[in-house]
Amino acid sequence: MELQKFSYDNRMTRNFAIATIVWGVVGLVAGLLIALQIFIPSLNFGLEFTTFGRTRPVHTNAVIFAFVGNAIFTAIYYSLQRLLKTRIFSDLLSKIHFWGWQSIIVAAAVTLLAGVTTGKEYAELEWPIDIAITLVWVVFGINMFGTILTRRTSHIYVSIWFYIATWVTIAVLHIFNSLALPVSFLKSYTLYAGVQDALVQWWYGHNAVAFFLTTPFLGLMYYFVPKISGRPVYSYKLSIVHFWSLIFLYIWAGPHHLLYSSLPDWLQALGTTFSVMLIAPSWGGMINGLLTLRGAWDKVRRDPILKMFVVGITAYGMSTFEGPMLSFKNINAISHFTDWTIGHVHIGALGWNGMLTFGLIYWLVPRLYNTKLYSTKLANIHFWIATLAIVFYAVPLYIGGITQALMWKQFTPDGFLMYPNFLETVAQLIPMYTIRAFGGFLYVSGFLILVFNIIKTIKAGSFVAEEAAEAPAMEILPSEKSESETGHRFLERKPILFLIVATIAILVGGIVEVIPTYLIKSNIPTISSVKPYTPLELQGRDIYVKEGCYNCHSQMVRPFRSETERYGEYSKAGEAVYDHPFQFGSKRTGPDLAREGVKTGKMYKPNSWHYNHFIDPQKMNEASIMPKYPWLAKKEIDIQSTPGKIRAMKTLGVPYPDNYELKAIDDLKAQADSIAKDLATAGIQTESNREIIALIAYMQRLGVDISNKPVTK
Amino acid sequence: MHTNNENQIDSSHSDHEEVDDVTQIKYFGGHEYDGIKELDNPLPPWLKYIFYVTIVISVAYLTLLFVFHDDDIVQRNEYSNEIKAARAKTEVAGKEEEAKTAAAAPLTQEQILAAGKITFDKICLVCHGKFGEGLVGPNFTDEYWIHGGRPEDLLKIVNEGVIEKGMIAYKSQLNKTQINNVIAYILSLQGTNPPNQKAPQGVKFVKN
Repeated sequence: MELQKFSYDNRMTRNFAIATIVWGVVGLVAGLLIALQIFIPSLNFGLEFTTFGRTRPVHTNAVIFAFVGNAIFTAIYYSLQRLLKTRIFSDLLSKIHFWGWQSIIVAAAVTLLAGVTTGKEYAELEWPIDIAITLVWVVFGINMFGTILTRRTSHIYVSIWFYIATWVTIAVLHIFNSLALPVSFLKSYTLYAGVQDALVQWWYGHNAVAFFLTTPFLGLMYYFVPKISGRPVYSYKLSIVHFWSLIFLYIWAGPHHLLYSSLPDWLQALGTTFSVMLIAPSWGGMINGLLTLRGAWDKVRRDPILKMFVVGITAYGMSTFEGPMLSFKNINAISHFTDWTIGHVHIGALGWNGMLTFGLIYWLVPRLYNTKLYSTKLANIHFWIATLAIVFYAVPLYIGGITQALMWKQFTPDGFLMYPNFLETVAQLIPMYTIRAFGGFLYVSGFLILVFNIIKTIKAGSFVAEEAAEAPAMEILPSEKSESETGHRFLERKPILFLIVATIAILVGGIVEVIPTYLIKSNIPTISSVKPYTPLELQGRDIYVKEGCYNCHSQMVRPFRSETERYGEYSKAGEAVYDHPFQFGSKRTGPDLAREGVKTGKMYKPNSWHYNHFIDPQKMNEASIMPKYPWLAKKEIDIQSTPGKIRAMKTLGVPYPDNYELKAIDDLKAQADSIAKDLATAGIQTESNREIIALIAYMQRLGVDISNKPVTK
Repeated sequence: MHTNNENQIDSSHSDHEEVDDVTQIKYFGGHEYDGIKELDNPLPPWLKYIFYVTIVISVAYLTLLFVFHDDDIVQRNEYSNEIKAARAKTEVAGKEEEAKTAAAAPLTQEQILAAGKITFDKICLVCHGKFGEGLVGPNFTDEYWIHGGRPEDLLKIVNEGVIEKGMIAYKSQLNKTQINNVIAYILSLQGTNPPNQKAPQGVKFVKN
């Protein structure tokens, strides 16, 4: 058969690889910064822009979407062309994809530092950026499917199954979780409220882990492990079974982020069970990766790149076993809201995503530059530093997380909390945070070795922009399934059909879990005494979101004796029905705030306490690790935005009276004046139009409504 | 050998007898992508069993919840059961504790103050300052008291709180001994004259 000559485009692979390295430095350094800030709050340097509540989203977004994201595109642009024996579909679309994605990252970093955020974890970016992400993702999709449809091979390899599932699922997750009503160019309110918002958010959040951090990396594992080791894939049958079971089951598991919350029991049960059922499908990927290396272990011993792959895949196996364990309700009761979760995700992030990305870069860059890696020895040193770093990072967080959870739950024999002051439990963590930061420092150091090694490699080589290739034209096969062909083999040569089947597989779980919370009212029993926020409280809530308070404070009292004793009545679904967005939080670096405003409760503090505490938390308690927020007393509330915000809330179904937006500013000023007056009696002189006043109003409203009247179904 | 162009529709692999040299496992005929081949290994049986077991566990759990409506795994009931159990346990323990305190030799004044200081440093300092010099809450080191300076005045305030001013009720967070000790400690602060004292509030109260 006649061979056709063509070439592979290496420019985009190279560009994405360099972007991976650049954003890797940014994301990892941001991680090290917040690892230090968490126990040395003054490391925000007194600036609002660099305070933990804003830098933590910068870290998470940078490592997930910039570092790992660009690594995914590097791998896809390289492997897709070669697996399909064709050139990338469109150079123009490649360019739009590359520059579009990098612009989004820059816009994300700038807006997050400026406090522009939706307040939903890993989906913090505001609506104009969300739209840009959607457009760039579509461009990427057209480019990928264009390449698949103009392929020379008859069938698509397992890597590409994973790329297809990634593309469609991320599109669905991103679009549905980001649906919001804009109130201004950089501010919007999510369409969902309270528990529904939490459910959609964690359906998204969990599957961002599944379909951004997992499936594309399984795809790249299936290409690069056999390619680098020269060994065949261990089991094609296993590929099929674990691919379909993984993508079908994963989408259901989101509710395990909301165990013991006010999410209905049946949804929590689905979250738990589908997480447990994920063990075998996840391990299928690990086994197929590790057993592919059978017969190549001598190579693994010598080659730091393969060592990175082995540690990465093993870390994947560990974290996909730990994940289901953390989804058991009784284990989650201990791990949730503590640093255990942070340790868990970093086994995946530093081990699986980090190590595979390093291996990918070390293998790929010399090939793109037609040279050898500058120093295999340095790569080996990087491997050992990174491996050690993971241990130093994760172990203290496991110890700290479990210690703190047990302290939260400890009672004296006569029935009082052993550690009623939250800060006592925080003090135990400081040494652990210090060791963790050292682990982070090691990991960053290792990465800088990579940067040096790669720069030297690039300088020594010459870039091959167009790599010559040849392959026969695609063989024409009958469009019907033949008798001797298995169903799956048929599917592998029908990529559009494959896309449709994969889409159905990933939609089922989401539909079953999300739709009933809208249609069946008993899922969220209403509480008649729960009322919308006053205009001042609404502004205060928006400041709470802007400062990223949810990064350290939860608003979800779980139904445990240890929590109702510490915080007050446990949270009910009906309490959050006007919260666009929900602010349940996922971590308690500071105490829960769900009952902060309840005057007869255990958490209540007077206005003057809040005022002093926001300005200087260490004045109220030396051991506090909360940063100071002096700018809240200087910056003015954006009062003019109030009518627009009230109107938006009404559009979303929050029952303010007719024409209330016309009265809103007057009501806001009256409430602000009364708080300022109360502060004056405590000797604090402040203008009533300051952000701190709105935030205090919000604090004093938290958890109050339910104690006003009895609950009604 | 078996590149894609040679491969007619892939089917049974029996007619492709090519095996991997290292493992002696057959390749899937016709599966070759950019030089990558795939082996015809079955799923590891132990992995299959793990999968089956997790499915059985999951179905059993969901059946308990949805079909048999097992109330004990509904979290509302888990909570009330936990509270009931704790109440029963602490009632006994509380009595034992009281008996123990009654039987033990009374604490010396020094021991009382030391115990009181522990509670103060955990809880009170947040509003009243590290040395009781006053912060949001009033100064304990001067002679002025807003709600009276007798031990029984303090007892009432610690137990019930002064809600409108932000002093919360502590009787559900501290036991009787702790409360008595901390009051003794607070009263001992008078005249210690720490730095940064808050201006006097309330009326002068002279100890008899």
